[in-house]
Amino acid sequence: MKKIKFSTVLLYLVLFFGALIMIFPFYWMITGAFKTGTEIVQMPPTMLPNSFTNLDNFKFAFQTAPFVTYFINSVEMMIACVVLCGVTTILTAFAFSRLRFPGRNLIFSCLLALMMVPFEMLVITNYRTIVGWHLHDTKWALILPFTTSIFYTYILKGFFDSIPESLYQAAKVDGCSDWKYLWRVMVPMSKPSLVTIMLLNAIATWNSFMWPMIATNSKEVRTLPFGLYAFISEGGAKNERMMAAATVVVLPMIIVFLVARKYIVNGVARGGLKG
Amino acid sequence: MRVRLENITKQFNKDTKAVNNFSAVIESGELVTLLGPSGCGKSTMLNMLSGILIPTEGKIYFDDDDVTEMPSDQRGIGLVFQNYALYPHMTVLENICFPLEIKKVPKAERIARATEMAKLVHVDMLLDRKPGQLSGGQQQRVAIARALVKQPRLLLLDEPLSNLDARLRIEMREEIRRIQQETKVTAIFVTHDQEEAMSISDHIILMKDGFLQQFDEPQVLYDSPANCFTADFLGNPPINKMEGVVRNGEVYVTDANLPSGVKIDLPEGKEVYLSFRAESAEYNPEASLKGTVIMTSVMGKEKITSIKLGNMEVRAYMDAKLTLKSGQEIGIGFKDTGVFVFDRETGERYL
Repeated sequence: MKKIKFSTVLLYLVLFFGALIMIFPFYWMITGAFKTGTEIVQMPPTMLPNSFTNLDNFKFAFQTAPFVTYFINSVEMMIACVVLCGVTTILTAFAFSRLRFPGRNLIFSCLLALMMVPFEMLVITNYRTIVGWHLHDTKWALILPFTTSIFYTYILKGFFDSIPESLYQAAKVDGCSDWKYLWRVMVPMSKPSLVTIMLLNAIATWNSFMWPMIATNSKEVRTLPFGLYAFISEGGAKNERMMAAATVVVLPMIIVFLVARKYIVNGVARGGLKG
Repeated sequence: MRVRLENITKQFNKDTKAVNNFSAVIESGELVTLLGPSGCGKSTMLNMLSGILIPTEGKIYFDDDDVTEMPSDQRGIGLVFQNYALYPHMTVLENICFPLEIKKVPKAERIARATEMAKLVHVDMLLDRKPGQLSGGQQQRVAIARALVKQPRLLLLDEPLSNLDARLRIEMREEIRRIQQETKVTAIFVTHDQEEAMSISDHIILMKDGFLQQFDEPQVLYDSPANCFTADFLGNPPINKMEGVVRNGEVYVTDANLPSGVKIDLPEGKEVYLSFRAESAEYNPEASLKGTVIMTSVMGKEKITSIKLGNMEVRAYMDAKLTLKSGQEIGIGFKDTGVFVFDRETGERYL
């Protein structure tokens, strides 16, 4: 038998406990969603619920709060943000990477400097703008502030810069317009980076909490994370019901992450922090 | 198509001129090489021909059209790059079709023409592959097909063989020659490799520091260099260059302090270079120029001999039948061709 090194054992042990710590809250949430009110506060706690067919908590959650509406709103917001932000990011990154115009580097430096301003500081100005445009408490209020992203532009520009200039020249000589070159050559070539950007954006949008809380009041336009928060007061502080609601909120993202894990890790490592 | 360059100058900043007052006429259907060391302005020249750069002064004519400031896409040129510049996400067929797609050629015709072009460059069995699955030579073939598929008036090749290994390079340069002759397209080929230039071109334009040095057929360039630089740049092994001084109408080799036997009508004391090709020296016991054999390497019918002359070393081909030992003193005579005398300051050729 092959001898296993002590350091390897130690490494795996650390990783195992790390993974356990990461996974346990999810495990507790999902099992908790199936438990009854008495079972969840029972001491010592049960590791598995008595019955996995107990869907009362889910029923209650969906009856008390319009989670279906929240869900649809979240999906709408996510798709709108990902698509709009994707388009603006591609166009901006192309401009900064390929087009020559006066002040290009200065403008890009200014944009990068803006990244240092935390989002929380922009909340007030964004709020005033949205109110000024009479968009408060509408779906547009949720979407508009997230239709551009300097960070994603920066990542994508890094990738665009790595595409050899000669490809551009070859296309130009053949009479290819910038627009066509962008969509026929650059975008398909940047697919790994683009997928990463869109996934990161999707996750960020799905999880966004603070802005939806500020920009919306009514149930009709609420998204899932804020809906979940509101549920605490509306549905009463019942742990098992909150677990069920939380499961509904995070499940789609867990699925997305599992499916697209490969792209997220690769893309961040590749397009990420170069140049 | 005939290309006429008139007094082209390209200046990037105040002090440096990448190309300086460059004039040449490239005849239709010829393959002409722009040759020179790196930084000599040959790529700048090519970029001006392709329209990527606009000359600071001077005019470029394609036949009778003034194209000096015409955008690249209207010039009707095909470009082949050193790094192939194929679109990695498209198949070979899609790559070759791309220029036609932009020109909005109907799909059926596009594919027919691309397939025909693929046959010409021998990649017709690889049409469904992606560039990443091809060897360097195959990628360059595809790049040539893509450049030729829209039937350009002029084909420009920017060091197309530099990324290939030695064997493929020889194969591909013969291929480029064949394709060029079959299509009869006027082609301009940029390289810094003199051997490549010599073997492939109808004419060579030799450049240095932005100036045209010589524009001639390869053999003429070799046999009759216009100046010291041309003589130094062409030939393998490189030409032997010795410092000399004129005394009594004869060149004395300064290092060896011996008369060379090369007669020249120049003023007494004129400082020159005496250059000779390795094949232009011969074993001659009566010659006044003597040197010591350092080593010989046999190459079959000849042997290449390193000879010490004063402080310097020269190399010459000697008859394989001669027995030459290291340390032996031999007389070096010269044949009629391949011996040149240049001005030491200007590089101007006297003989």
